Amino acid sequence: MKAKPLKKLIYHIFVGGFAVLLLYPVVWLIVSSFKQSEKIFLTAESLIPKPFTIANYGQGWEGFGDYGFDTYITNTTIYVVLVLIGHLISCSLIAFGFARLKFAGRNFWFAIMIMTLMLPYEVVMIPQYIIFSQLDWLNSYKPLVVPAYFGHPFFIFLLVQFIRTIPRELDEAATIDGSSVFGIYYRIILPLIVPALATTAIFTFYWTWDNLLGPVLYLNSPGKYTVSMALRMFLSNETVSNWGAMFAMSVVSLIPVFVIFFIFQRYVVEGISTSGLKG
Amino acid sequence: MKKFLLVLLTMMTVLFLAACGGDDNSSSDGDANTDETSSNNEGTGEEASGEDVTIRVAWWGNQPRHDYTMEVIKMYEEQNPHVNIEAEYASWDDYWQKLAPQAAANELPDIIQMDLSYLAQYANNGQLADLSQFFDSAIDVSNITEDIIDGGRIDDGVYGFNAGVNAVGFQYNPALAEEHGIEIPEDEWTWDDYKEISEKAVDAGIFFDTGMQPDVFFNYYLRQHGDRLYAEDGSGLGYDDDQLFVDFFSMLQEQVEKEATPTPDYLAQLAGPEDDPVVKGEGIGIFQWSNQFVGLEETSGLEFKMVPMPGPNVADGLFLKPSMFWSVSENSAAKEEAAKFIDFFTNDIEANKLILGERGVPVSSVVKDALMEEVSESQAKVFEYIAWVEENSTSMGAPDPAQAGEIIDLLTNLSEQVSYGQTTPEDASTHFRQQAESILGN
Amino acid sequence: MQSSMKQNLWGYLFIGPFIIGFLAFTVIPIFASLYFSFTSYNLFTAPEWIGFDNFTKMFTDDARYLHSLKITFIYVFAGVPLRLAFALFVAMLLNTASRAVGFYRTLYYLPSLIGGSVAVAIMWRNIFGDEGIVNLALSTLGLDPIRWFGDPTAALWMLIFLSVWQFGSSMLIFLAGLKSIPQSYYEAASVDGANFLQKFVKITIPMLSPVILFNAVMQTISAFMTFVPAFIISKGTGGPLDGTLLYSLYLFMQGFEFFHMGYASAMAWVMLIIIGILTSIIFASSRFWVHYESEGGR
Repeated sequence: MKAKPLKKLIYHIFVGGFAVLLLYPVVWLIVSSFKQSEKIFLTAESLIPKPFTIANYGQGWEGFGDYGFDTYITNTTIYVVLVLIGHLISCSLIAFGFARLKFAGRNFWFAIMIMTLMLPYEVVMIPQYIIFSQLDWLNSYKPLVVPAYFGHPFFIFLLVQFIRTIPRELDEAATIDGSSVFGIYYRIILPLIVPALATTAIFTFYWTWDNLLGPVLYLNSPGKYTVSMALRMFLSNETVSNWGAMFAMSVVSLIPVFVIFFIFQRYVVEGISTSGLKG
Repeated sequence: MKKFLLVLLTMMTVLFLAACGGDDNSSSDGDANTDETSSNNEGTGEEASGEDVTIRVAWWGNQPRHDYTMEVIKMYEEQNPHVNIEAEYASWDDYWQKLAPQAAANELPDIIQMDLSYLAQYANNGQLADLSQFFDSAIDVSNITEDIIDGGRIDDGVYGFNAGVNAVGFQYNPALAEEHGIEIPEDEWTWDDYKEISEKAVDAGIFFDTGMQPDVFFNYYLRQHGDRLYAEDGSGLGYDDDQLFVDFFSMLQEQVEKEATPTPDYLAQLAGPEDDPVVKGEGIGIFQWSNQFVGLEETSGLEFKMVPMPGPNVADGLFLKPSMFWSVSENSAAKEEAAKFIDFFTNDIEANKLILGERGVPVSSVVKDALMEEVSESQAKVFEYIAWVEENSTSMGAPDPAQAGEIIDLLTNLSEQVSYGQTTPEDASTHFRQQAESILGN
Repeated sequence: MQSSMKQNLWGYLFIGPFIIGFLAFTVIPIFASLYFSFTSYNLFTAPEWIGFDNFTKMFTDDARYLHSLKITFIYVFAGVPLRLAFALFVAMLLNTASRAVGFYRTLYYLPSLIGGSVAVAIMWRNIFGDEGIVNLALSTLGLDPIRWFGDPTAALWMLIFLSVWQFGSSMLIFLAGLKSIPQSYYEAASVDGANFLQKFVKITIPMLSPVILFNAVMQTISAFMTFVPAFIISKGTGGPLDGTLLYSLYLFMQGFEFFHMGYASAMAWVMLIIIGILTSIIFASSRFWVHYESEGGR
């Protein structure tokens, strides 16, 4: 019994120390955002900004041309939330269909879905672009958001794998109790895959937040740009890049992702306890 | 529960149909997101003066360029109330990433900021309009020399309108040179002088230069010998004697060996221009384009000087390179209005007081004279250098062929292999000829 | 009969959105790219049918392609197992009842949140730079500093480290999987006197196997398609000496810098076949080690 606090201390030293090691680059990023832009590279090894300045934040927040950085954050937030809703609804429905229902052609469609994961986006990009241009969807968020309502193979597959770990007896019991197929999805499965849904939410949030290729292709008006596009505009291939502002706004754009993660990670781990279901 | 499912599926179907249907009458529904673009192509259909037109203008760049270009656009819109300009700006990488699919879908912006390396690719495939039809009507070219216009000429048409000019040179730190007793001739020096002078830097324990971008400076070297990198018609290489290749790249390699130039792995380690030995005062100078001069002084906080390239035959080697072009897309419905805006950007003095040569030294002699007083000290040195090059250069010749991107990549790759000692200049020269001819041949 | 009809109806009702989306947005592009792979197509003018030329060129006349294939295999086979092992290790470390664990979880996840941002490239350049912390650590250990960006092999390993460092997504999926293993199994095993290793092999691994399968498949696919890190680290060149010229980067160069969209499409289909074969191997092997609670695997 005496050994317990010591064991705990060792755990914290190890886990905490390891975290510091992994986080060094992140700390470097944050510290650099408080350095003067032209000093960032001269004092790259130092983790103390000297002199300390918040000018980068002011400069970055001003944005480009007519639009401040707040515009990009608002745009990105709306975009991300719409995609998030789409993924949660569509992927859970589709995954339930694949994992629990027996129907003709199931394996075929599952194989098709896995295949769509393997084709690099670069080559379907052009034909897809032409389809969206025929629909007159260019320079809008439609090509980025609408497909989310038809499922995303990664998350469908993820949810399928989780549903498969849930004992079938639960469904059978519910069927005997008179539950419909949809009832099983809604009452039995959905609550049990909360961790996987939270995972879907987290991944969707930050992948969409970070997504660059889609917005670059489909958004033309700077007033519609996302954060990831805006960050790249601080850099220049011809003259001097504004590193300070880029780092500062990178830090700012990390905050929402960080907060979302902190909120949702709890559900990943605490949302479910299947213990006692069996045994 | 079944009801819930039904409602959900109906909702999704409706959403899908609504989204799809939206395009048939795109401006009628409340979709503020799309009607800006979708109205663009239709709205510019009739091109009568006085009628409202919308033109899309696209460019790459960074914060200062976006800011002043927006101001120029506002100035233009005020003077031409019937014109509505939609700006589409992005960073360099993103810009080209956007442009290719737009071209494939016939959705190119009306005015496109164009780079020399992509000009032929877009022009040869019928994406760009010939601007010479607007000369003297919409675009005033009376103060621009023929040479400068021809920078964007492909066959009989001008597909890129020169937005400013650059020239290569040696940009060095005079204080540091003096400190180590290194004297760089003001007007004329030769490659032999270069080799000799750089030894002094080696003795002082610093670098003389940071190497040379292969495609740019090999082309200069070839021009000194009366050749050029690409044949005029773009069907092959523009030089016959592979010894020139061997001589040039051997010289570069020797410079590395005697430590006048950093090794390639040293250069690869650098984080960015801020990290450059010359910026940090550990090297004498850089061989680069004149438009990079202002940035060099800004980044380093030091004063630099710009001198011509090593000779002989400097004038044969040097040329005025279009820093970038303005092009008008072939599918634009408002070509004439687009041309008028290009004219404004090129010839309007008030507008150029905002631009201040940021896109390259102005092509109009009148504008250039008017700006002399306005520009920063740093920019003035660039203007001066360009003025000197104007007198001491030859015409650029035909723009790079459509496959230039691939050739440059090949040459960069081979010169990297030479500098890493993985191949000899001799082998690289035959390999380059073989590969390049096959790329350019088809 | 009746009931199978009904089953089919329910099945298609649920997966319906996927099928509609697939038919509307994906199926045409897939066939288009398949067609392009047999053509010479520069994006601007109509594609021209050239049969199998793109494919023959790839394997007989393009040394750079073969090189890029080789280093991609190294990247995948070294990177994926390392990343998965690391992610599982950290997930198990964090799968305890400590109150601080939520905080640690977020900390460990932070590197992945930075994702493919442009900031990563420059951050990485400084950390692996001549005076960066990695070389500082090496010289403290009495080893020679390494020019990470200047040496082709070192540069590839740097990319692998970068991918291992961003282990967060796999870790999270493992964590969710670990949490869904009923605690009672472990309790029962403890009563039987099983030690940590026995519990790990007998309970954790089998119970986690569907999730391991998922991670293995997904990480292999995404590792093959890695583009952004290689692009930003090498400034789009794949250098030094093509050391970081991963498959997707070369594909992108061919398609969008050299405008050989036909060749790029052919490369994509070869990649699809390679990934397809690898995934089928993983799936085929899964019957020997993956244990589905719902499918009578007891």
